[in-house]
Amino acid sequence: MAERATTGPAIRCTALAKRFGAGAGAVDAVAPLDLTFKAGAMTALVGPSGCGKSTVLRMVAGLEAPTAGEIDMGGESPAQMQAQGAMAMAFQDASLLPWRSVRGNVALARKLARQPADTDAVDAMIARVGLAGFEAAKPAALSGGMRQRVAIARCLVTQPRVLLLDEPFGAVDELTRRRLNVELPPLWQAAGSTTLLVTHSVSEAVTLADRVVVFSSRPAQVVADIAIPPDATPGSDSFDALVTRVSAELARGWDEAGADAKAAAQ
Amino acid sequence: MTLAAPPSTLVAPRALLRPDRAQALAGAVGALALWQLAALALAGSYLLAGPVDVVRYLSANWGLISRALGITLENAVLGFVAGNLAAVALALIVALAPRARMVVSAVALVVFCLPLVATGPILRVLYGPGPGPQITLAALAVYYTTFIPLLVGLRAAPASWFDLVALYGRGAWTAFVQIRLMAALPYLLAGLQIAAPAAFLGAMVGEFTGAERGMGVLALRAMRALDVEATWAIASVAAAVAMVAYGLVGWLSRATALARPELLVALPPVPGAGGAGRRWLGNAGMVAITLLVLIGGWWLAMEAFGLNRFFAKRPDDLWAFLVSAPNAAENRALLRDASAQSLVYLVPGYLAGLGLGAALAMVLVLAPGLAGAVLPVAVALRSVPIVTTAPLIVLALGRGAAGTITIVAVMIFFPALVACLQGLRQTPGQVMDVMATYGAGPFTRLWQARIPAMLPAFFAAARMSVPAAVLAITVAEWLATGTGLGNLMALTASTSNYNLLWSAVVLVALGSALGYAAVGALERAVLARVAPEQLRD
Ligand SMILES: Nc1ncnc2c1ncn2[C@@H]1O[C@H](COP(=O)(O)OP(=O)(O)O)[C@@H](O)[C@H]1O
Ligand SMILES: [Mg+2]
Repeated sequence: MAERATTGPAIRCTALAKRFGAGAGAVDAVAPLDLTFKAGAMTALVGPSGCGKSTVLRMVAGLEAPTAGEIDMGGESPAQMQAQGAMAMAFQDASLLPWRSVRGNVALARKLARQPADTDAVDAMIARVGLAGFEAAKPAALSGGMRQRVAIARCLVTQPRVLLLDEPFGAVDELTRRRLNVELPPLWQAAGSTTLLVTHSVSEAVTLADRVVVFSSRPAQVVADIAIPPDATPGSDSFDALVTRVSAELARGWDEAGADAKAAAQ
Repeated sequence: MTLAAPPSTLVAPRALLRPDRAQALAGAVGALALWQLAALALAGSYLLAGPVDVVRYLSANWGLISRALGITLENAVLGFVAGNLAAVALALIVALAPRARMVVSAVALVVFCLPLVATGPILRVLYGPGPGPQITLAALAVYYTTFIPLLVGLRAAPASWFDLVALYGRGAWTAFVQIRLMAALPYLLAGLQIAAPAAFLGAMVGEFTGAERGMGVLALRAMRALDVEATWAIASVAAAVAMVAYGLVGWLSRATALARPELLVALPPVPGAGGAGRRWLGNAGMVAITLLVLIGGWWLAMEAFGLNRFFAKRPDDLWAFLVSAPNAAENRALLRDASAQSLVYLVPGYLAGLGLGAALAMVLVLAPGLAGAVLPVAVALRSVPIVTTAPLIVLALGRGAAGTITIVAVMIFFPALVACLQGLRQTPGQVMDVMATYGAGPFTRLWQARIPAMLPAFFAAARMSVPAAVLAITVAEWLATGTGLGNLMALTASTSNYNLLWSAVVLVALGSALGYAAVGALERAVLARVAPEQLRD
């Protein structure tokens, strides 16, 4: 499988906002948000659950239309990126099609992205996520961790310029999560995609990402924006300090939102 | 695009359907032994022929039986194909035009509720001699039980699968081919499995209406001659065919390794948002459109084929017959009396079959070993067509109230038992664990955990039992009792009183559809209190 040297585009969100519903029942999921994600880097988004992280990702993916604002990826809109098959996304549940084999699920992404069928590339990617020998297995026969490996293979096999990971390891147990955190990142680092990772785990965010953006409670606003230097590897002092700092920011975003809600209620 | 898996679909663990082979075998052997013992006990009473008599009769008359079987099978297969193609076409229409869903489903239900007993003779007149009525009745008997699961299946895919398709910039067509069709396949197979024995039933009823050859003809002849051995032998062959057909489709779905949902026909969702008033208006509108489509379609079909008004009645003929003619009151009285006679047997039989099915299911859940033996037998007996059991019950219990009520109850008992057993086993394991932690006894567990979990399955069975009970009572009245709507339809068909016949058909079809809707309303009311999560669309 050919390595790709090119990196993904920068992702620029300008005054991006999302409101679900209308009238009295309307929910502001994302407040106007200005954020730029660096080309080829991985940014982790953390925040209280329900704060709008998935909504941000889905707007970037073009699955949800913004109520206001714009998203630009190297001069292209989400719809244009979709049409080029230039994006990939992983969900909390692996979302594999149960009637397709591992190979069939991975190959489907190439087919949907209008890329030529290439069984060698598919099998090579399956091997790289550690599932050589399971090409013909159906998802029902795999463990949760193995299914997520297939989902990651499905994402990477199209060599996406933008990779969107929405709590990809949220449903696997802690031990499996740690293993996947060690084994899989080199794959997407090699791919050079611009990557957004939503996660609940602060240590996962600090381990994997180049930068952690901390969101407040709904509607999502940026509470903190923290660069993670490359030397902050798990076990180092700087790593522990960063985890403590991100956690503190998370708590602060949570408190402020609570205070806002109380103020609004009065 | 958000498409949650419909909660009103119940998917039972597969293990339930493939219980321990040994238990199943024990159940089958036990059933055969009971049958033989009963035959021995009743020897000389000309009521019951045992398995040994049946085998003896079949080996002596195999040429006759196998020829008849071949003919009926051929018609059943043709009807099966035609009916299921129609079901697929209807489901695709609804999938492509979701707004049409309520009206298409309602029209499909009313057509499904057309009484075979009357449509048979009418089709015979329309088609003349030949296999037309048999094939049409087989098709009519199968399309609904395929249509409804397919409707559910075409919607039964999680939203993220559609996100995946959209993410790569692909449209609704790709989603349809890659996701919807494939996700619907297991549901299609579940529907086909129910349809396979039903097609055989439809073909046999078609043969009752003046065919020259086939299993239906033999069955009618044997029953008229009070030939006990022939009646039991023919019923056994028909039952065996139905079970084999059921098993064959089941095997097919296992062989294709599709996770097969054990599907209960789902409750149609309550349409429309907004207040109760608006919803009510919306429903009234739907009913009005449905009636318009039915009446218009009926009239158009008659005109398009230029069918003779003497037997092919139009809506305005019935209006005259029932409302504006001088003797309209008499005509209405005829129908009213016949309906009353039918209801007297229908309602107790329906309640008894449903109640006994649910009760036995609860008893069996308290004795899990026994359930493993009974379930396969019940699944098999569920597929036995009513036209084969009705003559046997008439032989055994006579033509009075006991026999008739039993026919209705038997028709409903087995499907209700199977559905309730499956429903009872739906109880989430964690709930049972919580019960166990508090040391709850078996009855507490049944009452607090299992019965609420069983209710959706119970109601699904109760709804589908309405048309089934109407079919059973009309067949019984036609074949045996000489009273009620079934008899009225048979008589009017032979005396060419087609106005009365068509009136009875409309009455029975609308009555069944209304009964179905009434059970559905009760279901919503109960589930809203007990299991509100089952009602989300
Ligand atoms: N399709 C939708 N319709 C209505 N509200 C939605 C929809 N999707 C998300 N929401 C609401 O928007 C808010 C943010 O949701 P989400 O982005 O999924 O949060 P997160 O991923 O951060 O947990 C939540 O309050 C959620 O209920
Ligand atoms: Mg989320």
